[in-house]
Amino acid sequence: MSTEKVKEAIAKVLPDVETVICWQGGFDAIHATPCFVSSPEQIDKVIWSPLCAQNLASYLPSMKKKVGIVVKGCDSRTIVQYMQEGLIDREKVVIIGIPCTGVVSVKKILKEIGHEAVLDASFDGSGSITVRTPKGEKTLAIADVCPDKCRTCQYPTPLVYDHLAGDPITSDKPKESVYQDIREFDAKTLEERKAYWEKELDRCIRCYACRNACPMCVCQDSCIAETREPHWISQKLSLQEKFMFHMIHALHLAGRCVECGECDRVCPMDIPVSKMKKKINAEMKELFNYETGVNPDDKPPMFTFNVDEVKIKEHKL
Amino acid sequence: MPDTGYLPKEKVKDFIRELAKDAIVHVPCLEGETVVFRPFSEDRELCLERPANTPPKSIIYPQSETLFSFEHKKDPEDHQKMSVELKVDIDAPGTVIFGARPCDARGFVIYDRVFIDTDTPDPYYKKRRENTLVVTLSCAAPFPGCFCVGVGGSPAGKEGTDAMLTEIAGGYIVEPVTEKGKAILNKPMVEDGSTRLKDAQQAQQKAHEAVKNPFAGGMPNISPELFDADPFWEQALSKCVSCGACTYLCPTCYCFNITDEQVYGKGERIRSWDACMFFHFTLEASTHNPRPTKFQRFKNRVGHKFVYYPEKYEGAIACCGCGRCIRYCPVSVDISEIVNDLGGGGKKEQQPAGSAKND
Amino acid sequence: MSVVAEKELRVVGFLCNWCSYGGADTAGVARFKQPTDLRIIRVPCSGRVDPLFVVKALLTGADGVLVSGCHPRDCHYTDGNFYARRRLEMLKRLLPFIGIDERRFHYTWVSASEGQKWQQVVAGFTNRLHQLGPLHAKKENEG
Repeated sequence: MSTEKVKEAIAKVLPDVETVICWQGGFDAIHATPCFVSSPEQIDKVIWSPLCAQNLASYLPSMKKKVGIVVKGCDSRTIVQYMQEGLIDREKVVIIGIPCTGVVSVKKILKEIGHEAVLDASFDGSGSITVRTPKGEKTLAIADVCPDKCRTCQYPTPLVYDHLAGDPITSDKPKESVYQDIREFDAKTLEERKAYWEKELDRCIRCYACRNACPMCVCQDSCIAETREPHWISQKLSLQEKFMFHMIHALHLAGRCVECGECDRVCPMDIPVSKMKKKINAEMKELFNYETGVNPDDKPPMFTFNVDEVKIKEHKL
Repeated sequence: MPDTGYLPKEKVKDFIRELAKDAIVHVPCLEGETVVFRPFSEDRELCLERPANTPPKSIIYPQSETLFSFEHKKDPEDHQKMSVELKVDIDAPGTVIFGARPCDARGFVIYDRVFIDTDTPDPYYKKRRENTLVVTLSCAAPFPGCFCVGVGGSPAGKEGTDAMLTEIAGGYIVEPVTEKGKAILNKPMVEDGSTRLKDAQQAQQKAHEAVKNPFAGGMPNISPELFDADPFWEQALSKCVSCGACTYLCPTCYCFNITDEQVYGKGERIRSWDACMFFHFTLEASTHNPRPTKFQRFKNRVGHKFVYYPEKYEGAIACCGCGRCIRYCPVSVDISEIVNDLGGGGKKEQQPAGSAKND
Repeated sequence: MSVVAEKELRVVGFLCNWCSYGGADTAGVARFKQPTDLRIIRVPCSGRVDPLFVVKALLTGADGVLVSGCHPRDCHYTDGNFYARRRLEMLKRLLPFIGIDERRFHYTWVSASEGQKWQQVVAGFTNRLHQLGPLHAKKENEG
C-alpha cells in the first residue's frame, strides 16, 4: 500500500475516464485534500498515506462523466450504498481500491501536539507518525490518533473495486466491538443522555458542514432544513432548532448511514454528529440484520418491509 | 498612573471576576475539545492557550437576533379592523470580550465600516459595539492555517482592540490602546508593567516573524480576466462541499438574512447570519438562482473579501487572516492559495504540502 | 374535560383517514367517554407520517404523540402501514437515545369499527402521559 502503487493504478485508469478523484497534500503536513487528476502530469502530486481520511466517494453522485476514484475499505461502503439506492451508474465509475490499515484524525493529532502549527510530519513503516512543531517533535502511534471508526473497522479492503492497489487484508477487530459505544451510551440514564445532547448540540453553529460532507445526504440544495415552505426550522438560534436539524439529518439517514464518519471529521465544533446515526444502524442490525453498504443487492430497510416482521412486537399500553 | 500594566498569571481569574462586577465578560472556555466564548462563570474552564474555534463576532453581531417583535391585534369594537403592535428592544448590556485574538478584534474594524461608518448606521450593532470593551491577547506563535501578516495584520496587531495582553514569564503585559481600555489599568490586580514592556515587545516581534506570509511578495494583483474565468473557479473549487463553515467561523463575514418567524399572528422579525456558500443565499422567489453552482458562490466569497470590499472601502481587505476557514474547512480549501493563483500564480511560498513522507 | 383530574396535557394524534380516524368517529358516535387531551390530525395513511412529525411535535410543545393506522394487511393503500411500522419502530428506539422518554410516543392499529379499542388506546395513553407529567416546563401564560 504505497503511493507508487496508487499512482500506477491512476495512470492505468486515466485514459478511460474524465478525471480521477484522489488525494494530494493540503495546506500543512498533517492535512490531505481531495484532488481531481485529469492529465498524466498531475499524477505526481497524488499522495496516499494515513492522512487521506476524507471519503471521496461523496463526489460521485454529482459527477456527470465517467470518473475514476480512489477508495479505502470504509469509503467503498458508500459506493455499495449508492448502488443499492441507484444513485450512481456503476458503469461510469472506475474504482481503485486501497487496502487500508487505518487513517489519522487531524483533530486527535492537534490535541496531542497542543494545537501548534505543524512544520513537518512523516510516517515510519511501523504505524506511527512524527509531527514537528516549533515546540519540538512528537511521535504518535497511528492507532492512538485514528478516528473511532478505524478502531472497529470490519472492512479494511474495499468491498467493491476494479483495481486493487496492494494485497487484500482482513480485519482483526471483533465484530461485536462495532456498536459497543452505542450500547454503553444506551446504558446511561435518560437524564444523562438528554443532558449530553443538550450540551453537545448547543455548540452547533448550523454551518451544515456535516450535511454537506455526508455522502448519503443527497438532497443537498433542496434540504428541508433550509426551505421556508415547509418551515421545519426557523432562523432562531435555539437549542430546539439545532436539535431539530440534527434529527432531520439522522432520520433521513435511517438505515442508510455508511458510518464513514465524515460528519464527525468535518464538524468545526467537534460535535459527535455520527452517534445518532450509528444508533439507528445498531437497531437496523438488530431488527433486520441489515448492515449498510456491504452488499449491492441488499435493499435499505426503510425502502422495504416484510408482511410479518419477526422482530417488531406490538407495543402495549 | 503608568501606561503599561502587568497582570500576574495567578490573578487572571480575579481580574475577570473584577470585570464581571459591572459587565458580562465573555471568555474563551474549553468545552470538550473546542474553545468557545462563553459568559464568565466560576464553573467555566478558561482556555487562553489557543484561539477559540469560533470568533467572538457573535457577541456583538449575534448569529440570530430579534430586530423587533410584532403582534397583529383585532380591534375589540370592530373585528374587521386589525392593527400591528411593534416592540423594539435592543439588548446591549455592558460587555467585555476577554481573550480575543488580535485578528478577531480586527474583524470588528471591518464590520464598523459597514455597520457604523455609514449614513445609516445599524443601531443594533452600533449599540453593542459601543457597550463592549475588547481585551485581546496577542498570539505567541502561529496556529495551523494562520496568515494574519499576509493581510496587513499581526499576532500583536492593535486594530479594533481596547487593551492588549501579551504573555511574558509569569504573567501578562497590559497595553491599553483606547481611552476605554486605559480604565482597566486601575483594577487592583494590575501592577506597573512599564519596566517589562520590552519583554512583551520582544515576544510580539518573535511571533510576528513566525507567522507564514502566503503573500510574501506583496498582495497579489488579482487579474480581472482570471477572476471572471469560470474554468479557474471550477478547477480550484471542485473539492468544495459548499457548507457554511468558512463563513460562519469568519470574523469578517457579515452577510445576513431577515425573516419573520411567526405563529398565529405573533412573532419576531429576525436577522440571522447567512452564508454566500449556500444555494439559498441568492435563490430568488421565481426559483431562478443567479449563483447556482458552488464555484460561483466561492468566487463571491473571495471577491467580497479581496475585490469588492477593497473597492468600496479604500483598499481595505475584508480578511483578517485568522486562518479559521483553512483550519476548519472539511476539505482544506486554502483561500490564500486561491488569491495567490488569482494574482497569476504569484510568488508561491515554499509549501510544506504533501511533505508527509510515506514509505 | 380530562378524565384525569389534572391540568390537561398536549397530546398529538396522527390518525389515518381510513381506519383510525373512522375508529375515533365510531367511539364518538357511541358516546364512549374519552380524555380530551388529544388533538387529532388526520392523515391519508399512517405511511404518510414522517417520523419527523413526531419529533417536531415533541420538541415544540407536545407531551406525547400517538400514531394510529389500519391493522397490518388492512391498509387502504395495501402497504402504507407496513412501511410505517418499520419507520415508527425505528423512531421508538431512537427517542430514548436522544433523551426523550419512548413512552411519550405510541403507535398502534385501530380499525374503523373498533370504537371501544380506540377509547382504550386514548385513555391508556393519556393516563400514561399524566403519570409521566408534562414534557416541557410551561410558561405561565400558556394553557
